[in-house]
Amino acid sequence: MITAAHYTVLASGLFCIGLFGVLNARSALRVVVAVELMLNAVNLNLVAYAVTSGARPASALAFVLLLIVIAAAEVGLALALVVALSRRSDITAIDGYATLKG
Amino acid sequence: MTWLLAIPGLPAACFLVFLVSSRRIRERLLPLPAVCSFITLGLSVTALARVWPGGAEEPVWRGVLPFAPLGDHTLELSMALDPVAAAMLIVVTLIAACVQVYSLGYMHRDERKGWYFGVLSLFTSAMLVLVLSDTLLLTFMAWELMGLCSYLLIGFWFEMEAPRKASMKAFLTTKVGDMGFLLALFMIWSTVGSFEYRAVLESLGEWPAAAAAMAGFGLVFAAMGKSAQMPLHVWLPDAMAGPTPASALIHAATMVAAGIYVVARMLPLLALTPWVMEFVLAIGVATALMGGVLACVQHDVKKVLAYSTISQLGFMFIALGAGNAEVALFHLVTHAFFKSLLFLGAGVIIHAAHTQDMRLMGGLGRHMPITAGTFTVGTFALAGLFPFSGFFSKDEIIAVLVHHDHWYAAALALTASFLTAFYVNRLLFRVFSGPEQGELHEGHPSMLASLVVLAGITCVLGFASPTFAEFLGGEGVWPELGVALPSLAVAGAGLVTGWWIYGRRGVVVNTRIYKERFARLYGVLDQRLHFDTFYRQMIVEPFAIVASALATIDRTAIDGVVNGAIGFWKRAAVVAWSFDDAAVDGLVNGLAKIDVSATRLLDDFDNGFVDGIVAGVGHVVTAASAVRRVHTGNVRTYLIGLVSATAVLVWVLTR
Repeated sequence: MITAAHYTVLASGLFCIGLFGVLNARSALRVVVAVELMLNAVNLNLVAYAVTSGARPASALAFVLLLIVIAAAEVGLALALVVALSRRSDITAIDGYATLKG
Repeated sequence: MTWLLAIPGLPAACFLVFLVSSRRIRERLLPLPAVCSFITLGLSVTALARVWPGGAEEPVWRGVLPFAPLGDHTLELSMALDPVAAAMLIVVTLIAACVQVYSLGYMHRDERKGWYFGVLSLFTSAMLVLVLSDTLLLTFMAWELMGLCSYLLIGFWFEMEAPRKASMKAFLTTKVGDMGFLLALFMIWSTVGSFEYRAVLESLGEWPAAAAAMAGFGLVFAAMGKSAQMPLHVWLPDAMAGPTPASALIHAATMVAAGIYVVARMLPLLALTPWVMEFVLAIGVATALMGGVLACVQHDVKKVLAYSTISQLGFMFIALGAGNAEVALFHLVTHAFFKSLLFLGAGVIIHAAHTQDMRLMGGLGRHMPITAGTFTVGTFALAGLFPFSGFFSKDEIIAVLVHHDHWYAAALALTASFLTAFYVNRLLFRVFSGPEQGELHEGHPSMLASLVVLAGITCVLGFASPTFAEFLGGEGVWPELGVALPSLAVAGAGLVTGWWIYGRRGVVVNTRIYKERFARLYGVLDQRLHFDTFYRQMIVEPFAIVASALATIDRTAIDGVVNGAIGFWKRAAVVAWSFDDAAVDGLVNGLAKIDVSATRLLDDFDNGFVDGIVAGVGHVVTAASAVRRVHTGNVRTYLIGLVSATAVLVWVLTR
């Protein structure tokens, strides 16, 4: 029997992989993908609790759909940023950008 | 019987293995998909044995997976094994096994062959899911997955422009058809509340006429896209830019047949609306004729075969339009075998001749006896000659038309089969006879083995015709002489005409005289009846014009507003600046003069008190430059700080 706990463990695992990717990846593209992973870990959690709670609220699923749409918009924006960055200086490794340095 | 899940599962597992493993490991695992396809073939034979002798309405096995609970409803994905599915399983796994073995020889010099074999496995898995699927939802998923694999394999050599463009075209054109599938899904869900095939077919009495028409038309439209029916056929000839074995599996035997398969399963729903059935029949006849005509003027071996596939799919549509699903499915099965045989044969020919252009080929027959023999078997089946399988299935289609008094359709179908026989002979004579060109050699043994297996099946499969119909729950009949003789005569006439133009005197006759005499007609045919021109001028170019107009608006109007705003603020800044220069500086200077005297008074105070403050600030700055090191400007460092701070916060709050 798969309980909510199993899903939570899986989701937190996914989230941690995503987090590791965000912190560790050099390529901006990889960071974007890792962020997607984190978002989807959250989605998985929402769906898991919606399904295992017994009440099966449709609102949770609606929320997940909203998140998916937001994630899609976020990817669009992030990819545009990556393209703009690489056009400016041909570097997509995010370490190459330190203009915020104080 | 959950072991049935292994039939689509094994190829999918192959794909996953190829996806995650490195190139070096992939190269070692190349025979894995072939081994897997033999296992799935064995499983499919076992499945067929379970269903035998068929004819039953109820499936012998059904597996359900609750997929998405939505309020009161639950979307289910289910698979079922019934006679139709069992028969198709054999066809798909057998051809997939042949193609996998053949590809080992065909692709062995390609650099990215690991990816090729992986995607081919994924495609096989998707097609097997589609065959076993018991709900339209799962069918649609597999349908889309096949579309993706088709896109990937057409564009396999993406370094070149033609495959890239062709893959895009195939994907977008079939997507147009998929809108019809979605429409049908919406209508079915809102009318029946279930996607299950049997639930839908049992509820036919309760369907309102409008909903039935929309659902039926949607399904037909989807099949027109996937099965390359006019006017959505334009992607299939271009799809020949992909690897030849992939064309054999996807664009001849299985994926293009998926449209026919789904429509055949849902045929009672379509039959609720007579005009939909007439539409199917009309589209089928038009496509069969068009494909036949255009196949006669192609010079690329693969494109001849592509147009002949379109034409044969038109024949299947004709059978569906006449209301006989078993006959359509039998033609689907025989066509799958002989057309994949022809494509694989064409692959060997292309390897040997190093070109796809028939005008540059000739005399291959003497050096490649096995290829020539098996290819001839395939072409004779395509032309509908006794005793090859194509004869039986095509004859049944014409018999169905005659029995339902569709005389016009029968006459046009016979015309199409005349054209088929004609271009078949053109193909044979151009490729295999005449003067030899280039260094010729027979293909790799693994390629020839596949050809021989498929040719053997093509020779004997026709005699299974009544058994097949009874297995599917229909009525098995042998061809009647009244239909078979005219159809054979027409095919014979086509062959003789082909020989008269291309094979006489043992050399290829110069066909320029025909081209000049019918110059205008040939021009239209050479431009593929202007379908592509039409789409380019009516859809692509208007779209491009609208897009560039929008881009211009974006550049002039929106950017203009933004730039105008910036310009305004710049000017405002300049004004403010000059005001600053004149008024404020004047004031400051005036004050300064007063200041000078005051400063002297304050000098002592400065030395004592203010210097102390400055020194203090200096200490603060020194401390700040220590903090500055943390402020690297590197986003990653900030993120690590953010995450660890959050972790601390969570720890504090939940303690």
